[in-house]
Parts: sequence; C-alpha cells; structure tokens
Amino acid sequence: SDGTKPSRLTALQEQLIWALLESGLTRDVLVQAMGELERSRASAGAEKPDRGDGESSEEGEMDFPPPIFRDLDKLPPEEASKLRAEVDQLLQEDPWHVAKMVKSYMQQHNLPQREVVESTGLNQSHLSQHLNKGTPMKNQKRAALYSWYVKKQCEISQQFTNAKHGLATVEEQGEEIKKGRRNRFKWGPASLQILFHAYERQKNPSKEEREGLVEECNRAECLQRGVSPSQLAGLGSNLVTEVRVYNWFANRRKEEAFRHKLALDTPFTNQPASSSNPTLPPSPEHGVKYSQQISCDTASSARGSGGERVGRLVVSPVQLEPSHTLLEGHNLKPERVSSGGPLPPVSTLTSLHSLSASSASSQSLIMASVPSVMSLGESSLLIGLASTQPQTVPVINNMGGGFTTLQPISFQQQLHGSPQQPISQHLQSHMAASPFMATMAQLPCHMYKSDSPQYHSSSLLSQTMVITDSSSLGTLTSLAAVRQILTADPEEQSDPPLQEDSLHLQPHTPVPASSESLELYPASQSTESHPSHLLSPSPPDISSYIPTQMVSTAQ
Amino acid sequence: MRSFTSALSSQAGKIQGLTEEERAHLLPLLRSAQWVEVVGRDAIYKEFIFKDFNQAFGFMSRVALQAEKMDHHPEWFNVYNKVQITLSTHDCGGLSQRDITLATFIDQASLM
Repeated sequence: SDGTKPSRLTALQEQLIWALLESGLTRDVLVQAMGELERSRASAGAEKPDRGDGESSEEGEMDFPPPIFRDLDKLPPEEASKLRAEVDQLLQEDPWHVAKMVKSYMQQHNLPQREVVESTGLNQSHLSQHLNKGTPMKNQKRAALYSWYVKKQCEISQQFTNAKHGLATVEEQGEEIKKGRRNRFKWGPASLQILFHAYERQKNPSKEEREGLVEECNRAECLQRGVSPSQLAGLGSNLVTEVRVYNWFANRRKEEAFRHKLALDTPFTNQPASSSNPTLPPSPEHGVKYSQQISCDTASSARGSGGERVGRLVVSPVQLEPSHTLLEGHNLKPERVSSGGPLPPVSTLTSLHSLSASSASSQSLIMASVPSVMSLGESSLLIGLASTQPQTVPVINNMGGGFTTLQPISFQQQLHGSPQQPISQHLQSHMAASPFMATMAQLPCHMYKSDSPQYHSSSLLSQTMVITDSSSLGTLTSLAAVRQILTADPEEQSDPPLQEDSLHLQPHTPVPASSESLELYPASQSTESHPSHLLSPSPPDISSYIPTQMVSTAQ
Repeated sequence: MRSFTSALSSQAGKIQGLTEEERAHLLPLLRSAQWVEVVGRDAIYKEFIFKDFNQAFGFMSRVALQAEKMDHHPEWFNVYNKVQITLSTHDCGGLSQRDITLATFIDQASLM
C-alpha cells in the first residue's frame, strides 16, 4: 500500500514508524531518506522501458515489487546518469547482441559469473542461459545485468588507470564493501597455453622459471584485455602470481600421476596404452557405441573438430549451443599429451576447463567445485545423452554429482571447437566410447586445491546430518553451541536450538566482542549475508556442553 | 521424515498441510536453498548470518511485515547478526503452503 494516508498503515508499520521516530529520527530526515531510497530504487527500475515485454510474468505473490536484486548503487555524480543512460541504450538493443557483448567481455577479463550473480541477484542459471543461449530475460533483470556490466567496465578501466599511475588500487573499487572476498582466481586461456607449453618442456620448474612464467602470463593476459602489459592491477583477482604458477604445476603433476594410476587400475584392452596419439581411433566396439552416441545427438555437428576429433567422441555429442563455442579469439588449447593408456587423463577436466575461454560464463570446470554451476542447457543435453549410455565402464569416482560433474569436460570439449588443437588426445584414451564414461572417469580429480567457491563450507554437510548422531560432529558444534550460550541473553528460554547435532562451519564475521564471546567460526571464506547452514534440531539442550566448552573457550 | 497426513485434519477452514506430492516437490527445493528439516517435528529451519546487527534486524523487519501481511509468523531467534528461523504451521501441526511461501520470501529478503 502506498501509505499515503495514515489510516492505511498496518499496525506493524505504525509500530515501526513510531520506533523510528522515537529513536530520534525526525520526520524531515525520515522523509528525506525515503526520498533517496525511492530514487535509487526508481533508477534501478527506470531502466526498463516497458515491463512485460513479451515475457510472461511468473511473479507470484513472492515477487517483491521493489527489485530484490541488489542493484548497483549508482553513485550520485553525473557519472551515474551517464551510466544509466548507457544501460538504457543497451536495453534498446537486441538482447542477444548485448548478451554476446557482455559474455565476451567477461571472457576477456575472466570474470566469474558468480560475481555478476552476487551483485545483481540474478539467478545464475538464468544468467548463464541468457548469455550463452539467448534465453530471454526480463527487462528489469537485463537492466540489472547491464548496470553491472557498465559499472564493471568503469571499475576495470579505473583499475588499469590506477595501475598506470602507480596508484594502489582501492579495494573498494572493484567490489562492494559488503563482499568479504575477492573473486576466485581463474586461469585465462592465454596463460594456460603458456603454462602447458612450459609443462611439456619441464614439469617441475624452478622458482626463477616460475617467475618468468608469471611475467609471461600476466603479459599475455593484459594483451588479451587490450591493455598495456605493465598495468597489472587491472587484472584484479586474476593476476597471475608465482604461487599460482607453482600450484598449477603441482596440480598437473599430481594429475598425471593419478592418471597413470588409473591406467594401471582399469586397463582397457582395446586401446593401446599410448602417450600422445591423437589419431588413435576408438576400438571397434567402442567405436560402435560411439557412433551410436553421435547419431543420437542431433546437436552435434561436425564441430570444426575434424576427423580425429570425431574419433574422440567426447566433443561432438556434447555439443551444446553454437554460442558455447563462441570463443572469439580465445581459442587457445595447449597440447596435452595424454599418458596413461586408455583412461582419459584426469587433467582433461581441469585443463580443458581451464582452457576454455568461453567458460568464463559457465564456470563449470572448477574441479574443486564439481557440482557447481552448470547452465541448464548444458546439463539437460548431457543428461539426455547420459541416459543412452550403457554403463560399461566402472565409474571410478562418482562424485555423486552425476551428470553435473560430467558436464565440464564435455562442455569444454566442444567449446574448444577449434580443430587445431588436438585436445582430444586426452579423451581418446578414455574408457568407454561414451563421453560420459570418459568424463566420469575423470572425476576423481581431487588434486586441485579445493577452493570451491560454490560451496559454503557448511554445505558440505548433507542435510541429513541433522538427523544423524552427534558423534560425528566435533568440537565445532559444541563450540558453536557454547558461543550461543555465552552471548545469548541468559534469560532467553526458547533458544538456540544448538545442539550436538548442529555443526557450524560457516565462517562468521562480526561477533559481539564481549569478554566471553569467542570467534568460533573458522575464518575461511566469508559470505556476507548468505545464510549459513545450521543444522538444528528442535529442543535446545545445551547445558551438557557448557562445562567442557567453557574451559576451552574461556578468555 | 515424519509422515504427515493432512487428510486427518477435520476442521473446516483449517489450513491444510502439504500433500505428499507437494512435499516431494517442494522439500528438495527448500533443501537446496539450505533449509533443513527439523528433527522431531514437521518444520523447516534455516540460519541466516548477516554482516551486523542492523542488517539482521532490517531483515527481520522485512520478514515481520510480510508475516503480518500473511498472518503467518515464524519462530525465530536473533543474536546480534544471526537469525535462526523455524517455520511450521500450528494449525495443521506441520508444514503448509504458507511456510513455503514465507520461506521463499525470507530467502529473498535475506539478499537485500
């Protein structure tokens, strides 16, 4: 309700308003604040020329008129209106066109979809589909997207500018103050090419060599973004560092070792164990399956992969959308030598994924975050394919993500549609004719620093944890419980349903600094206001924990 | 999971609980949104952590206004920046559509 007449105020609204007034807020200040709030909201909404444009509104009662998404707070200056004008303009253009632009910008700067999702509130799947497949997006949402885009461009150019002038880039520039962490680093295709080449020469480079690679990679990344190689700050969270290079090599080595181990475990007689043999055709039976596979897949075209690629199988069937293969200049696939016989190198997943420029938007290959973000389109296709596959190959490590985990690799494959690189080598030695088998075999890629941005640490707990016994939960829970007690009002009765069952893994930001309170939350990744998992059964019964915990937590 | 039979509800005008089918459809969605099924009762629970008290309470205010609007209130606890919410419908002794609706709203409100 508009609330223009006092009588239309609900009782609670009245309460709140009185509370505000009593807290010292004057009517003038209140009105002024309201005005500002409304303005910022209006500007967010104003960027959509016409609302229901061709898209049916699915908004049930749940959809809140004021946009739920955290629209970018436009800075007051005229800059803001300039940006808004830009957004308006973009909204007039063909959405698909703009989507391509945004997508390629994200690829160019290796920006994670996650960042967009967090600052716009858009649904990640929807976003991915919109950018990659042109799935329609309502104007209001596109406005949010474009606003982010426009703002991001400013930020990045500022970053580069500051770098140029030797200024330290202000942290806040790139990210909202709210966000507690930077974007996860992601290898760009240019860097990967450099790294893979170096890997072939020498699997264990010395510190100097690594440092050299750091330079080389950063240079390449800058070039890709069209900036001078000396403006490193502009790379932001994707700046290549010696540590990252070190980790990359370590991971590749581990991968190879694992691949080798896999090869020993499940030898596939039909395929000769070979190292690099890109032209190795699949064995007859596999080949048969494979071709069946291919014929099933209507989407597969002769994705520029050339004959050998087809033999690889992995690529074509999984062909998703044409847009997926839009690499636009980022087609870099390092040559990978697949060692370890019939099994697809575990590396495929990661390496491929890392190679994929276009996966900037799909973000699907981070091994650590296996079941992470898969655009719906891809997954549905994969799933469809998967179902046609007879299980002839033992799944080495079914991460339980099922299809989703398969996606990255397949997806990647076809992304790098460019025929030049025999990426398929990896896959040629895969287990079964089916790409899925192949990819599944690659799942056990635990080598990576598992910094899974997709997971909240607590999400690792299955929901059923609540129901299971408490023995599996350790100190943390009790500690958490303790904190609850310590900081909670002693008179509170109903409370904190913290019990042995509750495990609190969520990192915690501010804790009331009472002398008793203790930061019990691991200082790992912090997610601003994202709800954490707290498993909590009903009846609070914390008392039993107090004794032991008190001791350890006493400050 | 406790089985819930709304069919047993005999009072007219009472809020109906979710049917098995609805549960089968909705609970997974909720679970993926980090709502947990409470042990020992037919309710869902989730904990929210905010940057500070103000944000937490702002969130609570939004939820409160919506709750009033829906005439459906959450069971919740707040300590500084943390808000623990349990949703269940008293009238039907378990989960009802209102809980689902409110849960959705709560999730959205927590993003603001």
